Amino acid sequence: MAMNASIQSRRLLPAVLAAACSVGAAFGLCRMAATGPVPIPEPQTGPSAEHGRRLFVQSCAHCHGDDARGSGEDGDGPDLFGLRIGNARIAAVISTGIPEEMPSFAKKHGAADVADLTAYLRTIR
Amino acid sequence: MTIDPTTWSKLHGATTHFPIALMLVSAFCDGASLACGKADWQRALRSTATVTVVLGALGSYAAVATGLIVAKWQFWGHGTLLHHHQFVWPAFALMVGLATWRAAARFSPSRKPPIAYLILMVFAAALMSGAGYWGGELLNHG
Repeated sequence: MAMNASIQSRRLLPAVLAAACSVGAAFGLCRMAATGPVPIPEPQTGPSAEHGRRLFVQSCAHCHGDDARGSGEDGDGPDLFGLRIGNARIAAVISTGIPEEMPSFAKKHGAADVADLTAYLRTIR
Repeated sequence: MTIDPTTWSKLHGATTHFPIALMLVSAFCDGASLACGKADWQRALRSTATVTVVLGALGSYAAVATGLIVAKWQFWGHGTLLHHHQFVWPAFALMVGLATWRAAARFSPSRKPPIAYLILMVFAAALMSGAGYWGGELLNHG
């Protein structure tokens, strides 16, 4: 009985390793996908609403919906049509987030991206 | 060739129910084997529990892969997705770990599984149910 328990205990190591490797691999894949290849910056003349739209689909649509109507998969984000706040405020919310409601995107999107996102949000009304 | 964005969501829905159902069935079979008095029934229930937990663990990789694609590779996310993941990751780790333990230790169907295994299995089934609940919330409010 004691020997049997000992054998079963020794089988714990592969079990713990399998569990840790599986979750670790998932985490690693997410990190790789988040980092991705370093894009070559293109010369820009001003904020691009078109690029902002692509960024929106990538980072915001999950909560705000593909159409920015607040019907994302996560369902938490509000409708962003006809925002009655200034560009600086929109940029600040994207960069710093809203406590308990929206995460900060400062690490993911730099000033140029935020300007593009703001430009895109200005086009929807 | 482009893939319809909803395809991954449908695939996640299709793959995710197998590990949930198989883990719950496995936990139920182990529980029923404790309550059942007939030795041949106990063996049958424990063998079923072994097969279902191993198949469920294998199936959970497909569910996790499609889920990560749907979630745009967010390991945690936020809001409802975060709640979903707070249950998914421990449930996934426990399911893979328990299935590996059960397969590696070759629990005899004529003996009771270790009490630690049974406790962790109940815990994993509860976590899996929570993951399923928050997954449903994502679907309903998405």
